[in-house]
Amino acid sequence: MTAEVVVTRQPPLRHRVPLGPRGPLGLLVDPMTWRAAPYLLISVAFGLAWFVILSVALPLSLLMIIIWVGLPLFVLTMLLWRGGAMLERRLLRLTLGVTIPDPYRPRPERGVARHLGWLFGDPATWKDLGYLLLLLPLGLVEFFVSMVLWACCVALMAQPVLVALGHTTVITDRLVVDNLIESLPWALGGVLLLAATLYIVRGMAWLHGTLAVALLGPGDEARVMHLRASRARGVDAAEAERRRIERDLHDGAQQRLLAVVLDLGRAQAKLDSHPEEARDLLAQAHAGTKAAITELRDLARGIYPAILTDRGLDAALSALAARAPVRVDVSVEIVDRPPAAVESIAYFIVAESLTNMAKHSVATEASVRVSRQDDRVVVEVRDNGIGGAEPRPGGGLAGLADRAATIDGALTVESPPGGPTLIRARLPYEW
Amino acid sequence: MRVVIAEDSVLLREGLIRLLADGGIDTVAATGDGPGLVAAVREHRPDLAVVDVRMPPSHTDEGLRAALEARALMPGLPVLVLSQYVEERYATELIGRGAAAVGYLLKERVADVAEFLDAVRRVAAGGTVIDPEVVVQLLSRRRHGEPLDSLTARESEVLGLMAEGRSNNAIAGRLRITDGAVEKHISGIFGKLGLDPAPDDHRRVLAVLAYLGRV
Repeated sequence: MTAEVVVTRQPPLRHRVPLGPRGPLGLLVDPMTWRAAPYLLISVAFGLAWFVILSVALPLSLLMIIIWVGLPLFVLTMLLWRGGAMLERRLLRLTLGVTIPDPYRPRPERGVARHLGWLFGDPATWKDLGYLLLLLPLGLVEFFVSMVLWACCVALMAQPVLVALGHTTVITDRLVVDNLIESLPWALGGVLLLAATLYIVRGMAWLHGTLAVALLGPGDEARVMHLRASRARGVDAAEAERRRIERDLHDGAQQRLLAVVLDLGRAQAKLDSHPEEARDLLAQAHAGTKAAITELRDLARGIYPAILTDRGLDAALSALAARAPVRVDVSVEIVDRPPAAVESIAYFIVAESLTNMAKHSVATEASVRVSRQDDRVVVEVRDNGIGGAEPRPGGGLAGLADRAATIDGALTVESPPGGPTLIRARLPYEW
Repeated sequence: MRVVIAEDSVLLREGLIRLLADGGIDTVAATGDGPGLVAAVREHRPDLAVVDVRMPPSHTDEGLRAALEARALMPGLPVLVLSQYVEERYATELIGRGAAAVGYLLKERVADVAEFLDAVRRVAAGGTVIDPEVVVQLLSRRRHGEPLDSLTARESEVLGLMAEGRSNNAIAGRLRITDGAVEKHISGIFGKLGLDPAPDDHRRVLAVLAYLGRV
């Protein structure tokens, strides 16, 4: 039943080689490995640099605090190491592929004391310092382990070539490699060591990345602040929604029913004297009641579509797409049903996006895709309209972003002038 | 005709009983939930069951499931399903089980008494009745470059009425054209869509719905 949007993309090389993404061949062709390897070799240099800078600047500024110059110097050092940590985060994203947002509290507008409080009071400042000081011992271990491993790999695998060039490798007095046959087992050992090295390199990269996330990352505090802010906006959005429902009921069904009761009253009065007019009034009341029922049904569906509870996203989104003014392809590629709150938010993101599209975009077709990426449900709504959509405070898109944020999800809108528009929400699978 | 009603709203249940009685149709049992419907069907073996989709205890698709259960108990039992909302997915689920004598209508269609009684009789006689809303949903799911686009406006109208389960005669009456003209349109539609002409109304509805919904 689902309209198909088949996105065929060739999987990356590491998925196509034998032994898959986590096998040795997979690691060998994975660009992640070759971005992490040089980082593990050079991180010791950064570690050393920061150790030297900090071990000079910190005691110096602390000592000079007695003559006041120390404080500005200390603040300067602090800004320096925060800058270093920011640099490190970007470097880590390039090399180890870990994305760590800057976790700092927002800068106060004015006041020296507030700025000092902002610097000193932010736990992120001190965690940055800890990371930069740890970088030296960590870098040393990483450097030596990977240096020795890579050197051994190269030396062993190069044996046949060296022998062919007339070179002799003396390992001990008794163990000398000087002919091709003897060199082959050494080369084979080199290949096995290379496989082990790949795993060790990725393992070290993972450990380093995890440590970096713990020390350089936002931790719980930023998440709590973000959730608190989005919960507040979520509550506001819910209030606004209730006001809208009240208004719709008041302006719509309630007025219609009033008109009906009026018609019925007049019909009753005219029943004996003017039966023809009474019949017309009855017909009018009949039509009015039907219109009121339709209006109530649409309103109820807008509050919560029953089919979403009963049959899940695929059925509900298909029904939504069928009511859209242009052709909408729907593809729901998730198997397990996410929790009701997630389904509902996903549904309303699509509903609002399609409404927006119908109102503003002049699109002739659209597509809706719901897929799973790890522990997230990804909802994408595309159209081929004129673009230029952006979330405005209090607008529909901003309301959707707030709704998504209440369950720790995120909404992005890509809509350059001239189009096309892509609205993408990433929502948690578990809630 | 003897009818069993399952509808949890007392107001609507009593209204339905009176409406059917006005049309000369007896209600032998009226119940407010799914298990009640199955029990009533077992006891009375009625000519038709009128069932609300959403009923206690689950308040989801209780009625739909009870209706299917009742049909398993009494194969061929005509069932008219009423719902506050119609969704194409439910319709295809109902029809998809190979159901003759099935109706699926918006609750508010009871407001047009004559039309509603006609639907009741058609379903009881083994016909299929599909709410126009469902047909609109089905027709709107067309894609570009489909044979549906090649239908004329009149043919589209006829297709919609066929999908609702109307007979040639009813279609002719509705569109104010002759039976012969309807037949001509229908053979045109079947030709364009590549469907085999079906011998009776019921099989024809299935073919059309299957084509539209790709069930």
